[in-house]
Amino acid sequence: MIRYFLRRLLLLPLSLFLLSLVCFGLRQITPGDPVHRLLPEAESRQANDDPSAYDRAYHRAAVTLGYDRPAFYFSLYNAALPDTLHHVVRPEERAMLRALTLRYGNWEAVQTYYRELRRLSYSSTVDREYLPTLRRLLLQDDPAAVAATLQPLAAVPELGPLLQAFNEVKVKGRWGDLLLPAFRWHGFDNQYHRWAGQILRGELGFSLADRRPVGPKIFAAAKVTALLNGLAILLVFLLAIPIGLYAAGYRGGWFDRLTTLGLFLLFGIPSFWLATLLANYLTTPAFCMDLFPSMGLGKLPAGAGWWSALRIRASHLFLPVICIAYPSLAYVSRHLRQSAVEQLQQAYVKTARLKGLSSSAILWRHVLQNASFPIITLLGGIFPALLAGSVLIERIFNIPGMGQLLYNSALERDWPVVITLVLLNGILTALGLFLADLGYAFADPRVRLNTPQQPSS
Amino acid sequence: MKHRNKWHTLAIWWLAALATVAVFADFLANDRPLITSMEGEIRYPVLNEYGVSLGWVKPYTPTIRNWYKQEPDWAIWPPVPYAAGASDLKNSNFRSPFAAQETGNRARHYLGTDKLGKDTLAGLIAGSRVAIFVGVGAVLISLLIGLLLGGTAGFFGDHTLRNTRAHWWGWSVGGLLGVTYAVISLIPFFRAAGAWSAGLIIISSFIAGGWCCAKILGRIPPFKKPASFPADSVVLQGVELFANIPGLVILIALLAIINRPSIWVVVVVIGVLRWPYVARFLRAELLRIRQLPYIEAARVSGIGRWRILFAHALPNALGPLIIVSCFGLGAAILLEAFLSFLGIGIPADKVTWGSLLRQSRSHPSAWWLAVFPGTMLTLTVLAANLLGERD
Repeated sequence: MIRYFLRRLLLLPLSLFLLSLVCFGLRQITPGDPVHRLLPEAESRQANDDPSAYDRAYHRAAVTLGYDRPAFYFSLYNAALPDTLHHVVRPEERAMLRALTLRYGNWEAVQTYYRELRRLSYSSTVDREYLPTLRRLLLQDDPAAVAATLQPLAAVPELGPLLQAFNEVKVKGRWGDLLLPAFRWHGFDNQYHRWAGQILRGELGFSLADRRPVGPKIFAAAKVTALLNGLAILLVFLLAIPIGLYAAGYRGGWFDRLTTLGLFLLFGIPSFWLATLLANYLTTPAFCMDLFPSMGLGKLPAGAGWWSALRIRASHLFLPVICIAYPSLAYVSRHLRQSAVEQLQQAYVKTARLKGLSSSAILWRHVLQNASFPIITLLGGIFPALLAGSVLIERIFNIPGMGQLLYNSALERDWPVVITLVLLNGILTALGLFLADLGYAFADPRVRLNTPQQPSS
Repeated sequence: MKHRNKWHTLAIWWLAALATVAVFADFLANDRPLITSMEGEIRYPVLNEYGVSLGWVKPYTPTIRNWYKQEPDWAIWPPVPYAAGASDLKNSNFRSPFAAQETGNRARHYLGTDKLGKDTLAGLIAGSRVAIFVGVGAVLISLLIGLLLGGTAGFFGDHTLRNTRAHWWGWSVGGLLGVTYAVISLIPFFRAAGAWSAGLIIISSFIAGGWCCAKILGRIPPFKKPASFPADSVVLQGVELFANIPGLVILIALLAIINRPSIWVVVVVIGVLRWPYVARFLRAELLRIRQLPYIEAARVSGIGRWRILFAHALPNALGPLIIVSCFGLGAAILLEAFLSFLGIGIPADKVTWGSLLRQSRSHPSAWWLAVFPGTMLTLTVLAANLLGERD
């Protein structure tokens, strides 16, 4: 038992590390420029009027936020590329430098071209007419397009060095350099280390959408989701266990036939469709069935007593809780019935019956314990379902929970919030599976003894 | 359930009918005639569209944008003379199936319209195409990965795949090095921009790296010892790690940050998310099958292991696997509807059951937009679940 526990416990940090890598990867590939979005508004407005001041502000912000560091502990890269490319903080410029270098293999020439281009783009001596073209060139990674843009500018004397530098890039290509790979260890001063450290210290950063700290924002939403799902789970267990057990105990009877058919149908009806129907027809006056208040959690009037507070909350929560609960209800009771039916054919049930125990005593005391696997599965699956399952229900009923938050922030590309939610959900998933495994081991000694057995699924 | 077989037959018929509708969607609902005679010439506008997109035939000249305004000699229209995404402004603003409709001498909008007058029935037909495409595609991808990994794990187990240590270490380490080198150096060197050429380079450098590394390691004495590849442990560990990833949440995050939504991304992501189910199931099936006497007999008579796996063991596991895939089909279709209901992942111009349902949210009194797509979805999921039920 202890060994099994330890083995599972060892896997946990490994999966969390992998999950953090996935999240970090997601963060890296997210389109949009986080530094630009986090700049104070006064400074990000300079982008058009005073580009060089904006560039300085951008650089300062990027250094403060750590974007001028290497992404990971080590990098494997093409030897033609320099190992200090991460010092170029603008992602678009970095992409341009990378593309040009990987095309011609001559970093020195590309670097000269880039320096010349930056000097001219932000200088005051060049005719203002050319500045926009030059700044566009900073983002242009296609050599043919660069050549086409530079062609008409050949007559301008100030731009002579630039054209010459670009020619050097093309002429002095060192194609063979591309064949060498390079490896470099960056040490701990990298973006991943910094990011993971911040997460571990609980500094979750600021939302890009409204610049509020991420932690409180998620906590407020999590309370709502926990309430919603907690009620739903309570409902599931209160109903599913008796239904499953009695259907198995009186197999073939009217109750069994009715619930089997009903639960099969319930399991097949998509919960978001039912939720849509309920929200459309029971919360709007469109069909004269405006039975429930529409949308949201409802506002409590100031100084409301606990009874009226309960009534308001209950009327708002009733439909969402039903919609979250019924698929799990169908799932748990169907599986419980199946495994209870298997248990009822075992010898110990016959012994108990011969001993003179009543059927309900057999069901509740003996069969339930042995048939409780599906309940444990559901308990293990609760945590991931907490967020994923309630995305749609929360959207349909407009409840400000974690699902709604995930959806909105994903659409707004608000990655600090999205990543934190994904990470949180991953931790909860791993924890849930871990607890479910432990639960299995307690419920069934065969698991912890690791004896070969026919896997059930 | 007594009438199990009757219901099974019904479910199979429903799925088959849905697949037929999906395949012939363009001939069932379209805004151009199937066959028409114009200026003495017989034309096949729908077929012509297919031909043009394949590059086989030239489009008819002059190009006709609006077939409703044409006056051909005669024309055979599809049963639903409306295309899924096309708006009909004369019947806009949520026209009920029973309300007065201004369709002239064309067929009515049998199942009503949405805000821009788009036909609901045409949308259902187009939606069934998306649903079947995503469902079948995702199931195929999950089968591809799951069959390979689950089959190897279950059939060979931890101790059957035997070779020298150099072989296993060489191929895994050398192959990995080869792929890395291909990505960082060879692809820019050969300027391989296309997916095919890049894939070719990656695969060939995997083979080259693995082969060389295995040969070199084969000369070092400690690596000459025989060892078995723990296929079962590796796959099980992979499945376990994969289970820790909150798939749906990552799916939402990933699809929402992708710049250009594409139905292919949805298919691939759903397929990849579902492979552990297939792998786990197939592993359990093969663990059972490999102990059967006929496999032993085949082994004794000297048939190669891979041939036993593919020619004798896998076909035996195929029946249960198809049943499980039916379940996967329902789940994938449900997930697609879920995503398009949220409005992420599927391109905005594609009409799906989920996107029709989403429209009903903004206009609750348009019951036809909520009831019909939901019924289609429910029936499909129920049929798939019924076929996928294991007893």
